[in-house]
Amino acid sequence: MIIAPNRLAASLVFFTLSCWAVAGQATPVGQEGIPVTDPLVIAKCGDCHARDERGNMERLSWGRTTPEGWQDALKRMILGYNVPVTPVEARLIVKYLSTNHGLAPEEAKAVLYDAERRIHEETNLPRGGLGNTCTRCHAFARALSWRRSAEDWKQFAESHAARYQIPSEATATFLAKAAPLHTPEWDTWGVRKSTLNLAGRWLATASIPGHGKFYGEMQVDPVGDDEFNTRVTLTSVQDGSALVRTGRGAVFGGYAWRGRSKGGVPSSSYAPDDLASEAREVLWITPDQATAEGRWFWGQYQEFGFDVKLQRPSPNPTLIAIDKTSLRADSQANRVRMIGYNFPSEVAPAELTFGAGLITRRIVSHSPSEMIAEVDVAADASPGRRDVVFRGSMMPGALAVYDRVDYVKVTPESALATYGDATHSRGYQQFEAIGYQRGPDGKLRTADDVELGPVDATWSLEVFYASQGSSTDFVGKVSPAGLLTPASPSPGNNFDVWVVATAKSENGQNGKPLVGKCYLVVTIPAYTFNGRRYVRDLNKWVDDGPVSRTQ
Amino acid sequence: MKYCLLAFTIVATITLLIPGLAEGHHGYAAFDTKTELALEGTVAEFHWTNPHCVVDFDVKDGAGHIRTWHGELSSPVHLVPRGWTAATLESGDKITVTGYPGKNNVPSIWVTKILLPDGKVLKAEVEK
Repeated sequence: MIIAPNRLAASLVFFTLSCWAVAGQATPVGQEGIPVTDPLVIAKCGDCHARDERGNMERLSWGRTTPEGWQDALKRMILGYNVPVTPVEARLIVKYLSTNHGLAPEEAKAVLYDAERRIHEETNLPRGGLGNTCTRCHAFARALSWRRSAEDWKQFAESHAARYQIPSEATATFLAKAAPLHTPEWDTWGVRKSTLNLAGRWLATASIPGHGKFYGEMQVDPVGDDEFNTRVTLTSVQDGSALVRTGRGAVFGGYAWRGRSKGGVPSSSYAPDDLASEAREVLWITPDQATAEGRWFWGQYQEFGFDVKLQRPSPNPTLIAIDKTSLRADSQANRVRMIGYNFPSEVAPAELTFGAGLITRRIVSHSPSEMIAEVDVAADASPGRRDVVFRGSMMPGALAVYDRVDYVKVTPESALATYGDATHSRGYQQFEAIGYQRGPDGKLRTADDVELGPVDATWSLEVFYASQGSSTDFVGKVSPAGLLTPASPSPGNNFDVWVVATAKSENGQNGKPLVGKCYLVVTIPAYTFNGRRYVRDLNKWVDDGPVSRTQ
Repeated sequence: MKYCLLAFTIVATITLLIPGLAEGHHGYAAFDTKTELALEGTVAEFHWTNPHCVVDFDVKDGAGHIRTWHGELSSPVHLVPRGWTAATLESGDKITVTGYPGKNNVPSIWVTKILLPDGKVLKAEVEK
């Protein structure tokens, strides 16, 4: 790598100043730091981050964060300060820090959507301008992925203010209160944490937008210190198709699974949403190590993914999936298929319950892993979700009852898709049409509405302000399964588009098919505005800094 | 005409999608903020969505012809503190929409407030 002399000189000056600044810090008063005991971290970081007699290293002992947080911090040290670290050493450093200077499981779960690359409406933004202070460049979760001492938040905010023009004092005050170094959760996690024991068989369920529900098993085999090989087999509830994925993962801090996996059988023709695609895995393992959940994702913008749940097998009968999501009131002999494990050889209808207003008329067939039942729904069954229960195993809210489908919602309700360019692959978007019942209050689009599951729909696009029926080919195409593929080559512009789902068999009270819409913006991947470069991230544009910095 | 419409879309999109800018005057680039318009109409569709909410409403002109206007509002995160919810408007509601008309001869308006059927007025404008 050739570094321009002026940039090298600037880096050295910055490096020297940073070391001086770090070395010149006063030890925070009134709070205990978290001592660093790992020889590798001390060796690699100790030149700049001095260690005191209690083992506290400057900055490092006054912050805690996720594996991603420590990975980003280490990257900055390597790129900005030329810290010599091999990939193996980097992994060990991240592992040590995210275990010993990490988050408690409860703290991590609150911001898990950021690591999962899941689109999430953040409703916990501080009032006033502070919310935008962070979200201008990244999810607010990234700030809340850290815990720091008040003094360290102050230093962080001041250095951030110099680079990104943020109000440092207000930011530091807010974050010191919202995300302090010491919390009850963290202080007790070290005591509560049990020895990691993930090896063996797990029951798996997955939901994949556009592909439906899957069930199966995952085998986890230890290959090293908190590292594992995996093999997962999943079967579609909808059509019985099967897929096998193998991979490898590591666990940080006793609960944070980070891994990679891919399908065992290469696909004959590439499709961006191919379920054999190599994916990153993020899972949150419950402290009792009995269940785990998270997302396995891929794509230029991580737009494709499995929503995964794992649970340890039980010797008792266990329900894990159901083929229906809703049943209409006043309907008889609905065939419902339950999937699970250890179903007994004798099953009585009364043992399988679906809640008020629903009666299991008969068990049509059953095997150790499947039951098919006929279910009657009373005419006066009140709309709402029901638990499905069999011999102590329960799927909470697995089935909904409705009188009519009141409206169709397209999910996601707002989305970005992105044209490709020389350095970015296209960003796709998978849509689903979901039916809803109005709920007890009788009003549409309120919190008590009952989600009824996917509705068969035809898909189309409408460009804002374009005349009806005009071509939308310059935007892209949406497949019969609801997958939006942006046009290629890129027209070089942005377009606001409605993605329209027209229900095939559900009509509104006016007799016309129900229609749902998503506000989609199809964008170029990056642009410059007022001397700053903006790039598309997960679900928005982010300020990537002055153009000169990124060129 | 097509490109005129596209240009409108591009300006609106770029300005509204940049976090922060939607709150500033750039968010109104495609609208004539020196002219305020009030339109009586009937809600055709209301979308509670990002990057901004949309209300399409039918307006009858003097000759009795109905034209659908496209009303753009701020995003849900800014409207909630002003009393808005996803259920504020329903198809068929009679409303009076006040706001800034689009500059490009399209029936569009940047909504600053709406008079609801029950007489209540909800502000929609983000403070500048």
